[in-house]
Amino acid sequence: MDPLVKLAYENTSPSIERSVLLRMGFNSLEAKGFVDKCFERGLLGKGAGHVVLKVSEALKRDYLAIGREMAEGKHWEIAEKLLKGVNVG
Amino acid sequence: MSLESTKKLDVDDILTDLAHYRPKRKGWHWREAHPNGKQEGSYQYEEISKPLSQSVPLPAGRYFDHIDPQPQEIITAEIASGRFEDDIRRMRMAAWHGADHIMVIRTLGQSHFDGLIEGTPEGTGGVPITRKEVRATRKALDLIEEEVGRPINFHSYVSGIAGPEVAVLFAEEGVNGAHQDPQYNVLYRGINPIRSFVDAAVAKTLMASADILQIDGAHNANASSKVAWKVMPELLVQHAINSAFSVRVGMDKSLISLSTVPPMTSPSPSFRLNFVYALTIRELFKEFRFRAQMNTRYIESDLFDATRIHVLDAVLSRLTQADIQSTITPDEGRNVPWHINSIRGVETAKHTLVAMDGMKKYIGPKTEVLKDEMRDLKIRAILYMEDILENGGYFEAVEKGFFVDSGYFPERNGDGITRKKDGELGAGTVVPRETDYYAPVCHHYGYNALPPGVERACDPIGGCTLDHPEKIQFVDELDENDNVDVRRATVRESESKGMLKPEVEWKNDGIIQLDITIPDNPDIAEAAALEIANRLGLEEPTVISKTILHPAEATYVEIKARVPFFVDRSALRLPEKNVTLSEEEITRYVHENPLRVVAGTVGNDEHSVGIREILDIKHGGIEKFGIKYTYLGTSVPVEKMIDAAIETNSKAILCSMIITHNDVHIEEMRKIHQLCIEKGVRDRLLLIAGGTQIKNETAVQAGMDAGFGRGTKGIDVASFIVKTFQRKKAGD
Repeated sequence: MDPLVKLAYENTSPSIERSVLLRMGFNSLEAKGFVDKCFERGLLGKGAGHVVLKVSEALKRDYLAIGREMAEGKHWEIAEKLLKGVNVG
Repeated sequence: MSLESTKKLDVDDILTDLAHYRPKRKGWHWREAHPNGKQEGSYQYEEISKPLSQSVPLPAGRYFDHIDPQPQEIITAEIASGRFEDDIRRMRMAAWHGADHIMVIRTLGQSHFDGLIEGTPEGTGGVPITRKEVRATRKALDLIEEEVGRPINFHSYVSGIAGPEVAVLFAEEGVNGAHQDPQYNVLYRGINPIRSFVDAAVAKTLMASADILQIDGAHNANASSKVAWKVMPELLVQHAINSAFSVRVGMDKSLISLSTVPPMTSPSPSFRLNFVYALTIRELFKEFRFRAQMNTRYIESDLFDATRIHVLDAVLSRLTQADIQSTITPDEGRNVPWHINSIRGVETAKHTLVAMDGMKKYIGPKTEVLKDEMRDLKIRAILYMEDILENGGYFEAVEKGFFVDSGYFPERNGDGITRKKDGELGAGTVVPRETDYYAPVCHHYGYNALPPGVERACDPIGGCTLDHPEKIQFVDELDENDNVDVRRATVRESESKGMLKPEVEWKNDGIIQLDITIPDNPDIAEAAALEIANRLGLEEPTVISKTILHPAEATYVEIKARVPFFVDRSALRLPEKNVTLSEEEITRYVHENPLRVVAGTVGNDEHSVGIREILDIKHGGIEKFGIKYTYLGTSVPVEKMIDAAIETNSKAILCSMIITHNDVHIEEMRKIHQLCIEKGVRDRLLLIAGGTQIKNETAVQAGMDAGFGRGTKGIDVASFIVKTFQRKKAGD
């Protein structure tokens, strides 16, 4: 059982990250838009919730509003700048 | 808002203000202990639970003071019509019959929908599970459980490619049970194996956070295999994999239920195979719970055959152990799960489990005889597991087609299901969590690097939806043409005008079933039955089942068809209901005017249960009001009845008649009336006939003073007698 448990412990997926955004108060449409873009930009391994919090901190705005805008394609260059290259495992 | 037993559930009320509805409670609920020492009526039980406050007892309940003992086992009703607004009404029916686990099947293809579906689109073979559908259903069940006085577990599926999201939805909305088994995704839904296991860990953790009971998916190997018993070793392996994985990611064993099905049915010597298997799985996994499902693999379109199979399956549950007894509608084989058959499935489980209450006190497995066979099965399962490990692990075994192979392991026929580790739906979507991976939410399985100074993962966002449900966003309809409002608009008009159509699953579906026996071969019989339905003016007649009575002599055909018209509720003429005198009034009259009657079953009729109920004080019979009676027994000649009435100075003769073949009952009624005239006693004797097929009008036409049919109580007869004498007295 160890290899299966380890696999689950160390990895994530679009559905898992959408489930994180749902728990943060996004709706399913916003979560889908956000995670699709997060995956395309190679940022899913950072955690979708992490990404939206980082950007909202940088822009000093509410994370729900920022997340909705990111789901529509905005602010991703900020996300990449803030998160890419940092501690890549 | 609450429900009244005489009023229909108002779907529009359920749909009102859903955006702000929160479930009354969360988590799985087992049945509670019986408060009265397991005494129901005059019977002592061993294995019953707290009774319902309102219910429909089994058909024979009326002979037992209308008791409705509830087995200790949870009983499941599967609901799968495709329209939740009709499903919730069926849930109410099922709850009244004793179901407290409502398993809602998902629409075809939802497993492959990459995300949540929203709104209330119509489904196929089940409903699309959406927030609105789940919330409306939970709201309805919250009312229904109050109505019947027992919590109801709402259940659906955390499977497919959006498992973690569905698990969040269920945890937020008070869903109480769910299927979750990554192997189901892999084998039967063709979803990437790695994705399935990675997702499952998060989904299971979320389920555990809301005390959602998990049911696994191993039983599907039964339904998919060529010969069901041959996958028995594999079933044990599948149960082991999901159970062990679930425990490792944090699920409590008490909320892990193994889904097990007796694999075989008659005409195989099924009991032997099923019994050994049932005992083995329960011994191997004794720390877990068991959900016993009924066999679907061998169900044909014959309802009686399905019911026989299901009774035997429930016998096996009682002989071994079942925490949940699930039911399948006996029309599953026709793919037309109708209200009535769903209820019949529930009744089959309740009937069988109650009938065999305490059985294990007297009957048990002969362990000496069974131990070798059980050991053999366990060895095969262990070797199977070792074979998986020797071949590199679970994913490699799946790639090599280990599962659902038709050989009895270690035999392999090379026809198993194969799924590629790096292929199938969702392949390549699993991403490693980086060292700074962070998910700011509770109940999240796996690596999570909390930022410095953060204690709880969701502190930086001020708490997540699992603790702060006000953060949940309610999405209403997304499709303006495919939603409950559009569907309701078409039925609301007929509803408001009181227009009725038959219904098997959807409001106004208009479907009826005809049972037709045609004295000819099956081909001719089928064509003739369809012709009859057409000539009756029914639409879309379809044959749903055929039984050969003899290849040339006769065929029994069941047809479903649509009734093309409505019936106006307000224009129906209902027979007048007898208004009975009060118990006190009858008792007072009889006290002041002593009354004696004679009673018995007449002709060649040995059915005495009905008449005894009308007479005996214990059943609320006429004796209760002080009426004396002379019971003459069964098959009493009418002459003897009259003579006895004269001899005992009785004022009425109560003749019970159950046999009505060739109108023999009418003949007896005429005879007794005629003989009374000949003997000159007709004026002083009331002649009353009773029986399941007796109607007042025909009885009166045949010379009786009254006729009483099915459902008659002692008070009805006593009241009639007293009223008649009061009238006569007033006339005098």
